[in-house]
Amino acid sequence: MTGDAGLAIGYELQGAGLTGPPGVLVATARAAEAAGVDYLVFPDRPATATDSAGPPAAAVVAPWIAAQTSRIGLVTTGSTAYHEPYHLARMVASLDHVSAGRAGWQVVTGPDDLADANHRREGVDPAAHREARAAEFVGVVRDLWDSWEDGAFVPDKASGRFIDGSRIHAIDHAGPALRVRGPLNVARPPQGHPVVFASAADAPVASTADVLTVGDPESGDAGRPRVLAVVPFVGRTGAHAAELHARAGAPRSDHERAVVVGDPDEVVGQLSSWAGSVTGLTLRFRDPSQVAVFTDEVLPRLRRVRPDGAGTLRDRLGLPRAANRLAVQTATAVERS
Amino acid sequence: MSVQRTLHLGLMFWATGTHAAGWRHPDARADAAYDIRLIQEVSQAAERAKLDFVFLGDRLATDPALQHSNPAQISRLEPFTTAAAIAAATSHVGIVVTANPTYSDPYSIARLLASLDHLDGGRTAWNLVTGADAAAALNFGRDAHWDTGKRYDWAEETLRVVRALWDNAPGPDGRGGRPIHHRGTYFSVDGPLDVGAPPQGQVVLLSAGTSDRSRDLGAREADMVFAGPQPTLAARREFYADIKARAARYGRADQVTVLPGLTPVVAPTTEEAVARYDELNSLLVLAPEEEVGELVRAGGIGEGYRLSRTSASRLFGVDLRGCDLTAQVPAETLAAVSEEGRRRLAEITRLTRRTATGPHRITYGDLVYATPTQLSHTVVGDPYEVADMIQEWFEERLADGFNIYPSSVPGSVTDFVDLVVPELQRRGLFRKDYQGTTLREHLGLAVPPRRSA
Ligand SMILES: Cc1cc2nc3c(=O)[nH]c(=O)nc-3n(C[C@H](O)[C@H](O)[C@H](O)COP(=O)(O)O)c2cc1C
Repeated sequence: MTGDAGLAIGYELQGAGLTGPPGVLVATARAAEAAGVDYLVFPDRPATATDSAGPPAAAVVAPWIAAQTSRIGLVTTGSTAYHEPYHLARMVASLDHVSAGRAGWQVVTGPDDLADANHRREGVDPAAHREARAAEFVGVVRDLWDSWEDGAFVPDKASGRFIDGSRIHAIDHAGPALRVRGPLNVARPPQGHPVVFASAADAPVASTADVLTVGDPESGDAGRPRVLAVVPFVGRTGAHAAELHARAGAPRSDHERAVVVGDPDEVVGQLSSWAGSVTGLTLRFRDPSQVAVFTDEVLPRLRRVRPDGAGTLRDRLGLPRAANRLAVQTATAVERS
Repeated sequence: MSVQRTLHLGLMFWATGTHAAGWRHPDARADAAYDIRLIQEVSQAAERAKLDFVFLGDRLATDPALQHSNPAQISRLEPFTTAAAIAAATSHVGIVVTANPTYSDPYSIARLLASLDHLDGGRTAWNLVTGADAAAALNFGRDAHWDTGKRYDWAEETLRVVRALWDNAPGPDGRGGRPIHHRGTYFSVDGPLDVGAPPQGQVVLLSAGTSDRSRDLGAREADMVFAGPQPTLAARREFYADIKARAARYGRADQVTVLPGLTPVVAPTTEEAVARYDELNSLLVLAPEEEVGELVRAGGIGEGYRLSRTSASRLFGVDLRGCDLTAQVPAETLAAVSEEGRRRLAEITRLTRRTATGPHRITYGDLVYATPTQLSHTVVGDPYEVADMIQEWFEERLADGFNIYPSSVPGSVTDFVDLVVPELQRRGLFRKDYQGTTLREHLGLAVPPRRSA
């Protein structure tokens, strides 16, 4: 327990009426950035159980927000079941380029019957090989990000050298569920690897993520960076907070999220007590009005990992830039020969 | 049709410029592929010029061997990502995104396009391609590129499902999404779409291809057909007439806009334009002579020819190995070239104004640089000459407009929008301002009625 440890703070933008007209989304993102929030998480589900419209796809919203902000991290959600790794790797790498190193990918794996029913095609039933596919997917995406070494994109006008072909590698992945030749057609992302988030409870991907999302600060692999998912109910007083919580159906903490109810002092105290055990907190607001209350009353009083709010998303989470796995292999191969 | 035909212009965005050495030009930004600010600025320039759209092509494979012949195709930002960033920086110009159904599924495509159409306020178009890169198959778990028949069967079913998803998506009030329960040859898709119906109802559709299947799909379904290079004006005329005749058979003759690519190399005077063209060519990197085989990669948009004196010798049928590129070619040598060589000589004269005899003589460099097949028709000249060519093709019904290929970025974009567009506007050929904010409005197309599943 280190008393001076700081927290990284993320806001998850869904389920709180935050999905209204596009302009509202931009305003929310900018306000969060101005208040020093470290990252936004854009959930994504390619299916609906209702007849109502949900938010636009995270893959399009995240770069759109990237273009209208300058510091905040942007974590897009993508399922291993409904994407091809080549497409997913490109999209997230491209987000990292357009945001100058602010991208993250929240990897989800399902199961989701409704989404499965939207994505069946010849040779592909998302329900059939879900786990095998998920187990291979993140590694393939990382290899694709590494398929261009740093510095492979040269464009030097004087010499006419556009790329350095010796630093661009096929990945030749051939696993039980996925086959991908590579290389990717996007230069290596600024962060090396955009930050991969996964739920600690999502077995096929938890071991390959950079950051685990947990619902209990004591759960998950404590040796790895973890962020705690928090559903906050902040009231003017404890009683008011309890009332807000009750009105929302009195959700309880479980293995996926911690529910925190109290006045600003109590919430600050509770959240700060976790600073030594987790890297950060992802706030899942149940109500749009809670975003403003939290931003005004709680956020300024939390000790932060990067109080200056500078750098890439990896910097904000205290993670080093990712080393290139393929470049290392190449160097080893050269040494051996 | 009594409706006044209007010229349509798009901007093909290739970060390297469409000339293989465009990125080396002094007015180019060599690293434009990854500079989203620059990409936004170029889009804003297109918008200031009231162009119909910015066009983002795509490929699903790469090949480092293309670096001197077709560098634009080696790498790029993913098009929806780029489009979203352009959407945030512009308010009127259309945004064409390429999405290849061969390696995707209809729900994903419908969702991404509908999402973009919401964020850009109805300015999205889908460039439906089935892919020309055999190598892409290997990136998506397949052993081989499907043949044309299978690719188009798949693409057409994809399009039916995408249209049905949009027609049955939640409406403007955010409600009323209905399942489609599609059960077809290739896809099983329940719906409804989780994203609201696109503001344009149906996102504008653009198709590009060369096969009979592609022409048919374009005529039946597309709002714009993007025409590839043609060897002769006669072939160009035939292509245009064929698309219009096919469209007429589907009852939509006046609803399909045919847009060839056009590379304008323009400057205030003809001499400066030719100098610019020569400068671009002089920046090309030639392959070493000992490498045999002129074809680096066969097939489609990614094809790149090895540019060398050996390749030029083969095409022109005379020995050009060891030549000094800046030296004039003797008239006897030019008289001895192959039939294809003679066609290229006429093209060289059209572009450079140099001839076999006379004061300005064809050089060896001209022959070598004229060896690769051009990506699009190229015109070199002052603003009036370029506008004349555009007007002629438009009035002669070779084209309804053009997808403009800037040879360098941003320099050639600036040249075109500053020098040529005002001249087209002065002639009453091109809009002086947008009449609406959606791409459908720019194209004069109504929002189609919603059809239920
Ligand atoms: C002008 C033009 C532009 C094209 N742009 C692309 C592109 O950006 N990406 C791509 O994968 N294919 C592109 N293509 C390829 C076609 O869309 C088509 O898939 C390919 O030509 C094979 O079909 P086909 O046999 O009908 O020509 C283009 C083709 C033409 C003629």
